Amino acid sequence: MPSESLSSLGPALRTHGLRMRYGQGTGLVNALDGVELEVARGETLAVMGPSGSGKSTLLHLLGGLERPSEGEVWLAGRRIDGLGEKALARLRRQAVGFVFQAFHLMDELTAEENVELPALLAGMSPRAARRRAGELLDRVGLAGRAGHLPSALSGGERQRVAVARALSNEPLVVLADEPTGNLDSAATADVLRLLDSLRETGQTLVIVTHDARVAAIADRLISMRDGSFVEETRLTRGGGRLSELAGLEG
Amino acid sequence: MGRILLICRLALRDLRRRPGEAALLLLATTAATATLTIALALNGVTGQPFQSTRAATAGPDVVASLAWPGQSEDPADLAGLEALASAPGVAAHSGPYPYTQAVVEANGVTVRAWTQGRGAEAAAVDQPALVEGGWVADGGAVLEASFAQAIGVDAGDAITLGGRSFRVAGVAVTAAADPYPKVCLAPCWFGVGAESRAENGPPRTRPRPERGPPSGPPEEPSFWIGQGGLVWVTEADARGLATRPGSLAYVMNLKLTDPAAAPAFVRAHMPEAESMLFPVAWQDILYGHARVAEWKQTALLGGSWMLGLLALASIAVLVGGRMADQLRRVGLLKAVGGTPGLVAAVLLAQHLAVALVAAAAGLLAGRLVAPLLAEPGIGLIGRADPGPLTLPVAGLVTALALGVAGVATFLPAVRAARTSTVRALADLPRPPRRAGWLIAVSARLPVPLLLGLRWAARRPRRAVLGVAAIAVTVTGIVAALATDARRYAEKAPGDDPRTALGQVLSLVVVMLVAQAVVNAVCVIWAATLEARRSSALARALGATPGQISAGLSAAQVLPALGGALLGIAGGIGLAEILDDDPVAVPPLWQLLAVVLGCVVVIAGLTAVPARLNARRPAGEALRTEPA
Amino acid sequence: MPDEEPSSGYQLRVVQEVVLALLAKEASHGYQLRARLQLALGPLAEALNAGHVYVTLNRLERAGLVTSKRVGQTDRPDRKVYELTDPGRERVVEWLDDTSWPKPAPAEFHLKLVAAAAAGLSDPERLVDTQRHVVLAGLASAQRAALGEPAGSAAALLLEGVVLRLQADLHWLDACARYWTSRKEH
Ligand SMILES: Nc1ncnc2c1ncn2[C@@H]1O[C@H](COP(=O)(O)OP(=O)(O)OP(=O)(O)O)[C@@H](O)[C@H]1O
Ligand SMILES: [Mg+2]
Repeated sequence: MPSESLSSLGPALRTHGLRMRYGQGTGLVNALDGVELEVARGETLAVMGPSGSGKSTLLHLLGGLERPSEGEVWLAGRRIDGLGEKALARLRRQAVGFVFQAFHLMDELTAEENVELPALLAGMSPRAARRRAGELLDRVGLAGRAGHLPSALSGGERQRVAVARALSNEPLVVLADEPTGNLDSAATADVLRLLDSLRETGQTLVIVTHDARVAAIADRLISMRDGSFVEETRLTRGGGRLSELAGLEG
Repeated sequence: MGRILLICRLALRDLRRRPGEAALLLLATTAATATLTIALALNGVTGQPFQSTRAATAGPDVVASLAWPGQSEDPADLAGLEALASAPGVAAHSGPYPYTQAVVEANGVTVRAWTQGRGAEAAAVDQPALVEGGWVADGGAVLEASFAQAIGVDAGDAITLGGRSFRVAGVAVTAAADPYPKVCLAPCWFGVGAESRAENGPPRTRPRPERGPPSGPPEEPSFWIGQGGLVWVTEADARGLATRPGSLAYVMNLKLTDPAAAPAFVRAHMPEAESMLFPVAWQDILYGHARVAEWKQTALLGGSWMLGLLALASIAVLVGGRMADQLRRVGLLKAVGGTPGLVAAVLLAQHLAVALVAAAAGLLAGRLVAPLLAEPGIGLIGRADPGPLTLPVAGLVTALALGVAGVATFLPAVRAARTSTVRALADLPRPPRRAGWLIAVSARLPVPLLLGLRWAARRPRRAVLGVAAIAVTVTGIVAALATDARRYAEKAPGDDPRTALGQVLSLVVVMLVAQAVVNAVCVIWAATLEARRSSALARALGATPGQISAGLSAAQVLPALGGALLGIAGGIGLAEILDDDPVAVPPLWQLLAVVLGCVVVIAGLTAVPARLNARRPAGEALRTEPA
Repeated sequence: MPDEEPSSGYQLRVVQEVVLALLAKEASHGYQLRARLQLALGPLAEALNAGHVYVTLNRLERAGLVTSKRVGQTDRPDRKVYELTDPGRERVVEWLDDTSWPKPAPAEFHLKLVAAAAAGLSDPERLVDTQRHVVLAGLASAQRAALGEPAGSAAALLLEGVVLRLQADLHWLDACARYWTSRKEH
């Protein structure tokens, strides 16, 4: 079992000299160019950067969805860049929750079933999985749409289902790629509240986003450009007086 | 003109871009056309060898036989038989020859045989033509060829006849009797004689015992009525073999001035009293010979229809898969104001081209294989010459191929044209309301099964086609098994020529299985392609490659299982309809083997592409497959 | 964050109008008014100490916009109950009809960047970056405060307003960064 080989000490995620190249010759793209990253347990990390800077690629590599061209990826003390597909799948069901940029819901499953799928795969009992799915959908404001197929949901609703799905197996790390890209302000607040609650359970969160408001829930913000990290900001609490920001003081 | 040129060019380019698919199409259609060609070529195969045998042996137009079972000889009746020789319309005759029944033992086989006494000189009518050895002599018997073949005896071998040792002097063919084991003289009745006797004669009709076991009644009568072979001996030997009272009978062969009038002659000369005089027309004997060939033809014709259906299913699946593939393109076309007609025309052109090639290939293959199956059956001389490749045959086969391709292309094309543009662009699966019951049913299943069922439900038409294809295949296999079981159950001792039907049935089964595999490959190819994104996604969420394979297999195996069960029922039903003998249900283990075989083959075929797909990292597939 | 001189910290005008409006329906004690304000401001009420409301009420009374009377209580010392006067009522109506909008900041910062670039005193890019960090930190604390509020609370709505404005400011700062970077490259 992979869970046995996952250590409960040290960083949740770590990369070393991570490189990813697509294509070859003149079509060569250096999507990631030597990324060094360490994410502590329970930490929330935001990754921002212009389109095409390699954010999604980084997330995919962190979750073992693709193999790096070079470098190491460690998840909870286990090196995963060389693992086989089967071992990776086992690892993911145990330790990783994904929110894809393109949602990637299973068209043939209802919203509720999409959400409970990772839980079922992770070995949760059907009853518990169903309960958890209902609870998560409720928290993203979709309790009334549980029985709908994705084709009957709006873009924002699909995105919220995707977020709920990423949390259903109670993963060690949640990797969220633009989890609020299609949401209005209120739905964004719902999703952010849900993601922020991971802090209480000590889960690690990596969010890729274009939205500073989403990044603001992180402990640390990393900016990427052309496949590398260009800036790292620690977002400390209590920066600026709230009443001043709200226009109550002047 | 330019439009047609454009369509042809696009069609050619598409074919070249997907050679595997074109090959599958070609294979599927060729199997159907080849079988149809064979079936049509076997039409009337036996007629010719029988006619040449009739010519070579001065075959009789009417064979009249007379017996007194259980009684001592009645000279008055014998006089009645002899009187037929001078009846109006009779041109020549031979006999009456004495005959009796004797048990033949050779090579460990024990069979009953009608034993006819013949003179040394050539008879004017029905002089059996030797194919081996010499004519009868005292202690030397001549065996009818199909009989000799069945019990594995050649000229020069020693056999026991009625408990006495005989030497096989020769082997000969005749046009005066049915092939082994259907030889039957008085006191049995069949053909026109039996009919007219049933109509107006006394109720003591004894129909030809085609049905029922080859064994006789419990207490040994002087004559049994039933299957057996034909042996010629000298008249003295024949009389010597008739040991029990009433076991000696007579047969006379008549040549008529008008052979076509033989049935009428038989009707006219049916004795009114309870006489055991039994005339048979040559047409009824021909029918006996033709039966085996007719079975073959029926089996092949049925087989080719099934293969045609299977080909239809394969092509529909392939075309449907491509249509789904192209639906987005059609949607785009429509969105910018174009017509989907062009896409449909391109597909149609490709499939018709493939169908034409398949028709040609099928005609050629069928032509090459037909002579092997047209082997006339021992007992007749002359080679069977399968009907020449006439224009109607070629036309029919080509029409089948084109029709199958056309129908299979037309329906999905119409559907694509009618799909709403938005749905086509999104390539959405079935709208949710249709999947409602399935969602309810499958919601509580284990993950692989859940996924499998949903995948199957995504394209319900394809699932139905898959079920239909398996059902047709299993129908064919089970019908063949049932027919074979029947033949086996009534098999006469030795190498019953009727079991030659088995060859044809196995050929049909082999082709059905091959075709079904092609079909399954088509279905699985389409389904796997379509489930690629879903399965990559499921893997991203933590499903192992094994679970994905199981899901994909379940998506195919569950419908296949349903199809197999339908097919078993259908097969037994078909055997009931096609075979005029009562149905024998094949043994349970065979049925189980068929069902299990289906499941294993389908699961195996599915596992391979699923495994191959699972080798790619999940993220890669997700990136390349559209959402 | 106790502030002994409220007039310097709070935009007093707003607090005055709010207190007047809260009295429009019925007369209230000072502590009732304070509780209402705290509910509406949530975590932002941290700077609103008890004295602030009473100071405001005294001023309003002096200006003749409210009157007060003492009400005896059985178990406690007497308390003042405040009531709106007619001029006070007029003032509330005026305030509600007023459409003036708090001014956002860009003009001043924009001119600061232009001036810094022209004078060569400071790198506009660096200024933008520093400002970005400050706004980001503000956004982070506002966002956290917002997440800390129960969904549907009035204070959460206020915080959402703060967050959205800071978000807009950040978008604009990104645009500034792009502009000044491209300027430097030419
Ligand atoms: N399969 C691929 N083949 C070739 N290039 C690719 C492939 N996948 C990604 N790329 C390239 O890698 C780079 C990084 O892609 P990535 O998806 O990580 O960007 P991103 O930061 O997530 O962008 P966005 O914010 O637009 O989602 C891009 O330039 C992209 O074109
Ligand atoms: Mg991306």
